[in-house]
Amino acid sequence: MLNITKTAEGKKFCFALDGSLNTNTADEFEKQLREILPEAEELYIDLKDLTYISSAGLRVLLSAQKQMSRQGVMKVKNAGGFILETFEITGFTEILDLE
Amino acid sequence: MGKDKTAKKKNLLRSGLSVNIIGAIVILLVLFGVISSAIGLVSFTNAFKREYSTTTYHMADTAATLVKGDHLSEYVDGAYAYEYQQTRAYLDAYCKKIRVSLIYVIQVDRSDYGRFVSVFNLVDNTVDDTEYTAWEPGYKRDTTNDEYRQKYKAIYEQSSEYETVYRIKTTDGQHPHITTMVPVKDSSDEVCAILCIQRPVRELYDARRPYLINIAISTVLLAVAVSVFAGFFIRKQFVLPVQQVSDEATRFARENTQGEPLGNISRFEVISNLAHSIDTLERDMCSYVDNLTAVTAEKERIGAELSLASTIQDNSVPNVFPAFPGRDDFDIYASMTPAREVGGDFYNFFLIDDDHLAIVIGDVSGKGIPAALFMMVTNILITDRTKMGGTPEQILDYVNENICAHNKADMFVTVWLGILQLSTGKLTAANAGHEYPVLRTGGGAYELVRDKHGFVVGGMETTRYKGYEMTLQPGSSLFLYTDGVPEASDKENRLFGVGRMLEVLNADPGASPEKVLSGMSAAIEEYAGGAEQFDDITMLCIEYKGSSEGKENA
Repeated sequence: MLNITKTAEGKKFCFALDGSLNTNTADEFEKQLREILPEAEELYIDLKDLTYISSAGLRVLLSAQKQMSRQGVMKVKNAGGFILETFEITGFTEILDLE
Repeated sequence: MGKDKTAKKKNLLRSGLSVNIIGAIVILLVLFGVISSAIGLVSFTNAFKREYSTTTYHMADTAATLVKGDHLSEYVDGAYAYEYQQTRAYLDAYCKKIRVSLIYVIQVDRSDYGRFVSVFNLVDNTVDDTEYTAWEPGYKRDTTNDEYRQKYKAIYEQSSEYETVYRIKTTDGQHPHITTMVPVKDSSDEVCAILCIQRPVRELYDARRPYLINIAISTVLLAVAVSVFAGFFIRKQFVLPVQQVSDEATRFARENTQGEPLGNISRFEVISNLAHSIDTLERDMCSYVDNLTAVTAEKERIGAELSLASTIQDNSVPNVFPAFPGRDDFDIYASMTPAREVGGDFYNFFLIDDDHLAIVIGDVSGKGIPAALFMMVTNILITDRTKMGGTPEQILDYVNENICAHNKADMFVTVWLGILQLSTGKLTAANAGHEYPVLRTGGGAYELVRDKHGFVVGGMETTRYKGYEMTLQPGSSLFLYTDGVPEASDKENRLFGVGRMLEVLNADPGASPEKVLSGMSAAIEEYAGGAEQFDDITMLCIEYKGSSEGKENA
C-alpha cells in the first residue's frame, strides 16, 4: 500500500512516499520518522508518488513538522493534485514548507 | 456401589494385564525349554550313539584278534577241537569282561549274504537280563533282514572297517541294543568271517533320563523365577504405571482439570515419556483453556464496553428527527456512520437563542477509541463555548488553545462552525481545515463554497481563525460532510470524489434534508459495491425556509 524509500546523508534525511498514506500505513511511516527525528537537522519528504493522504497521515506530518520546527528544517516536496488539495482544505499549506 | 464396581473393574483390568504378560512369558519360556531340550536330546543321543558304537567297535576289533581265521570251517566239523575250545574260552571270558550280551562269529554265504553258519556264540544273559541261548557251532540261519545283508556285504568287501546296526526302539520285545560287526581275517589277510558284538543300550536311557529331568527342573525354576520377577518388577514398572497413565488420561478427559503430575513413574523410557507427555499435555491444555477463557472474557468485556461507548457517542449528538418539530423556518437532518464501533466524526446543532442556530461538523484525525475520546472533548468544548456567545472564529480560537494545551498525541480535528440567524438568513462561519461546504441558493444547483480556510484545530496553538459571512435566501440548502463522503471507495480503491457528490446532490436539488442524506447514503453504498469503508461517514443538511415573519410579509 505504501512504499517508503529512505535516504540519509549525515543529519539530512529524505523520505520518498509511494502509494497511500492512510490509517493502516501511517504507523509504519511514523515509526521510521521517530527513529531519525532525534538527530535530524534537515528533513525532506517527497510526495511525488503519493496518491492519497488521510487525516492519520496528516497527523504524522504535523508531528514531524512540530519537532523539526524546533531543531532544523522540514520541507515537503512535489505535493500535487489530491494531496495538495487536502493540504489546502485542512490548512496544512499554512504550516508546511511546501516546494 | 458405582464406585465399588469401577474399582473392581480396574483391579480386574490391572490383574488381567499382569496375568497376560506373565502368562505370555511363562508360555514362551516353556516353549523355549521344550525346543532347546529337544534339540539337546537329539544331539546328545547322536553323540552318545557315535561314541557308543566307536567303543563297541574297539571291543569287537579286540575280540576279532582272538579268533584265528584259518580253521573256521574245520571248527564246525569238530577238527582243531583244542584250538576251538581255547578260542571259545577267550571269547567267553572277554564277553563277560566287557559286559556285552553276545559275541558271535559267523560265516556268511557270499553268494547273496542270505544265510550264515554260526562258528562261535557266547552269551551273557546277566548283562541286560536277557534270555538268549547260545547257537551250536554249525547252526545255520537265514539273514534277519536286508540291512544285515547290506552290512555283511560291506564287511566282506572291506568297504568299511566296521558296521553298526541300531535297535534302540525295538518293537518285538527285544531289549534295546546295538550290534557292531567287524571282519575276521585268515593268515592271508582275506575276510573269512564276521565277528558281531551285541551290546545293550540301557546306558543311553540311563543317561538320558537325568538329562531330561534336569532340563525340566531348570525350565520350571526359570519360569517360576521369571514369574516372580514379572510379578514384582513388571507389575511395578510397567503394569501399574500404564494403569496410572490410563487412569489419569481418563480423569483428564472427564474433568479437564490439571491433576497431580505423574512424574517419573517407570524405568521404561517409553512409559516415562508417555507420563511426561500426559503431564505436559494437561499443563498446556489447562493454561491454554485458562488463556482462552481470559481472552474471550476480555473480548466480551471490550465488546460490551465498545457497544456501550457506541450508544453514548450516538446520543452525544442530537439524533432524534425532526429535531425541532415546532419550527417551520428551517429543516435539519444529520447522520453519523462510524467505520468501527465508535468514530472520530461528529456533528452538532442547537439553538443558542430563539434566533440563532449553531451548526457544527468535525472530523478527528484517526479512528476508533482515541478519535472518539477526542471527538467528545471537542464537541463539548465547542458547544459550551458557543452557548457563551461570540463569533465562530472566537469560538474556534478558544477551542484550539484549550485542545493544544493538553494535546500530547498530536491529534487534531477539522471543524466547520456556523451560526445562522434564523430571522435574516445571515450565516457567520469559520472553517478550521474542514471540507468545503456545499450550498444551494434559492432554486439553483448545489455548488461548492470555497470558503476561507484556517488550520485544523489542535494542530498549532498559535493559529488564529478568520470568519466569513454570507446570507442564505429562503429556500437555500447547506450540505456539510466529512471526508468519508468524497473518499468513500469502490473495490478498486477509486474514490467517490467531490464531483460525484455534487452530481448526486443535483440529481434532485429540491429534496428535503432527510431525502438528501438518504439519497447520498444510497449512492455511496452503490458506488462502494460492498467494499468495506475505512473512514467514518458523517453528513448534515439544513434547508433554510425563511422566517415565518418574512414569509408572512411576502
